[in-house]
Amino acid sequence: MRPRNSQSRLIVELAFRDYVHERVMTSCFILALSAVLLPLLVLFGLKFGIIGNLLAPLEDDPRYRQIRPVGSGSFSLEWFEQMAARDDVAFIVPRTRSIAATMRVRLPDSETGRIISVELIPSAAGDPVLGDLDPPSGFNTVLLSQDAADKLAFAEGAGAEGILSRTYKSQQETVLLPLTVTGVASAGAFERDGMFVSHELLVAVEDFLDGRAVSPLGWDGSPTQDDSRNFSGFRLYARDPGDVAGLRRGLMARGIDVRTRQADIELVQSLDRNLSIVFWVIASIAAVGYGISFGSSVWANIERKQRDFSVLRLTGFRARGIVSFPILQALMTGVLGWAIAAVVYFVVQAGLNTLLAESVGRGEAVCRLLPAHFMIAMLLTISTASVAAALGGIRLAKLEPSLALREG
Amino acid sequence: MVKSYEAGGTEFRLSVPRLDILKSAKLAFVGESGSGKSTLLELLAMILRPTESKAFNFQPAADSPIHDIAAAWESADADHLSDLRSRHIGYVLQSGGLLPYLTVRDNINLSRRLVHRSTEDVAEHWAERLNIAAQLDKQPAKLSIGQRQRVAIARSLAHDPSVLIADEPTASVDPLNAERIMELMVGLVDELGVTLIVASHAHRLMQRAGLQMIDHAIDAVSGNSMHVTVSDASS
Repeated sequence: MRPRNSQSRLIVELAFRDYVHERVMTSCFILALSAVLLPLLVLFGLKFGIIGNLLAPLEDDPRYRQIRPVGSGSFSLEWFEQMAARDDVAFIVPRTRSIAATMRVRLPDSETGRIISVELIPSAAGDPVLGDLDPPSGFNTVLLSQDAADKLAFAEGAGAEGILSRTYKSQQETVLLPLTVTGVASAGAFERDGMFVSHELLVAVEDFLDGRAVSPLGWDGSPTQDDSRNFSGFRLYARDPGDVAGLRRGLMARGIDVRTRQADIELVQSLDRNLSIVFWVIASIAAVGYGISFGSSVWANIERKQRDFSVLRLTGFRARGIVSFPILQALMTGVLGWAIAAVVYFVVQAGLNTLLAESVGRGEAVCRLLPAHFMIAMLLTISTASVAAALGGIRLAKLEPSLALREG
Repeated sequence: MVKSYEAGGTEFRLSVPRLDILKSAKLAFVGESGSGKSTLLELLAMILRPTESKAFNFQPAADSPIHDIAAAWESADADHLSDLRSRHIGYVLQSGGLLPYLTVRDNINLSRRLVHRSTEDVAEHWAERLNIAAQLDKQPAKLSIGQRQRVAIARSLAHDPSVLIADEPTASVDPLNAERIMELMVGLVDELGVTLIVASHAHRLMQRAGLQMIDHAIDAVSGNSMHVTVSDASS
């Protein structure tokens, strides 16, 4: 409806001009709001920053997401497929029996000629501990753990050779397997002598050591069993530290005993929860307090300006538009108060982070907020102010306009 | 039409058995304060809801439709009444009828902007007529009370209303100024053919201004209740 639209436009203009006209009072409203909002922003910034610093290693270090089986079980390939398909699983590969997952390795060209025994770690694309390194593939491409590389004095580009021995039909047999080492995993990836290998190679090694034939590599033995083989373990990583507890519960419920670093995760999570509760209690008290204080100022202001509102009614403004008057002004107070608090917050944040930089180190920020936090703060501020003003507005709507006009 | 209300423990009852006001009439309700003059003006301005009303019709001009105000109150159609008020009524208060946050110019233009009419040269024209041209860009607080009343008259006439209602328009100014303001107001409504309804306790001033006097008599003050009847004023 056209007339109503332009009446609202006129009301917005009048509300704004009244707002500017009463600069002293509106400045007080705005500053009072900033004064309440600023400590809340800083408090939340500290909570977010500190918890963020505690959570960062949990999120960056894949060990916090690892779920390790205790002892050996029997897991079918089908089970692995099901697990891999879950949303909370980032990575899972089968492990063979640990006794059948070792190999001796040497660097043929090395002067020392040292041979070490390495544990075979199955890996694949997306292995969290390998980071950006290319995963091992096929029968010949592998990665060494840092320890193994150090002991072998491995230098990039050097060829390696795997040595496997078994007693088959009462005869000692040894095979040699040429290997290409494409990389060395970081020290944290595996803390003993280890070699990251593909699933195929891992299975081939187990087959050979168990006396079975591995035809692609030309290793003789009894005929290979096919798909029905089961695996005794797994390497499993949850997608997120928060997913560990759920995965653990699921596995334990199916009788699979596992070890996790859940306790570390839960410590930080419960700290986060408790600090959040404290924060929201303080924020709610502040919001209610500010709401009451702002609401009563609006109320008193409406009392004071009763005549002006009555003049608007007499001129022919509709009641609804007049009721929106204090709400529009509350919106302006909300946005301006929030903006001032946000600007001052940045100064405080910079100060706090410089002041506390030494005790945290590593260039981490103690106090920080995301843009989304500012948006949420603004929405909450505006709603609190508008609700308070709306209560005043309801009073305004109930006023009989004419009573205000009498001189007494 | 009847309006009953309570004020300070006294029950008050204003009854208007019959009141016809013709186009271009100039009326003054004269009576002592507390006799309900303001209440009557507010009823006529469609801002105060009558307690009961057998008939209340408003025809802004001879060629325009008759609006049933009693029915609008009955159906609580406040927006309709607001719209009628914005188009056809100008209202002057005893004092303080200006918005403090607008300049004189914007105060005068307000009533026109509300009904979407051009404000070009309007404020200048009215300021010229009411002798307040020098005050146009000032805020009301900087003006004398007499000047403020002139601005209020300008605003209540700027949107070409058919009725100008003034509640004690001169009560706050000195007698000399009161005389001038009444003269100006009557001169303007005569020229524009606007109906003028004034409430005042200044009997002689109204008489000199050539207004038709309607006695606003208190019939009975018995105990806690007061009855006022406005007599027929058709002309």
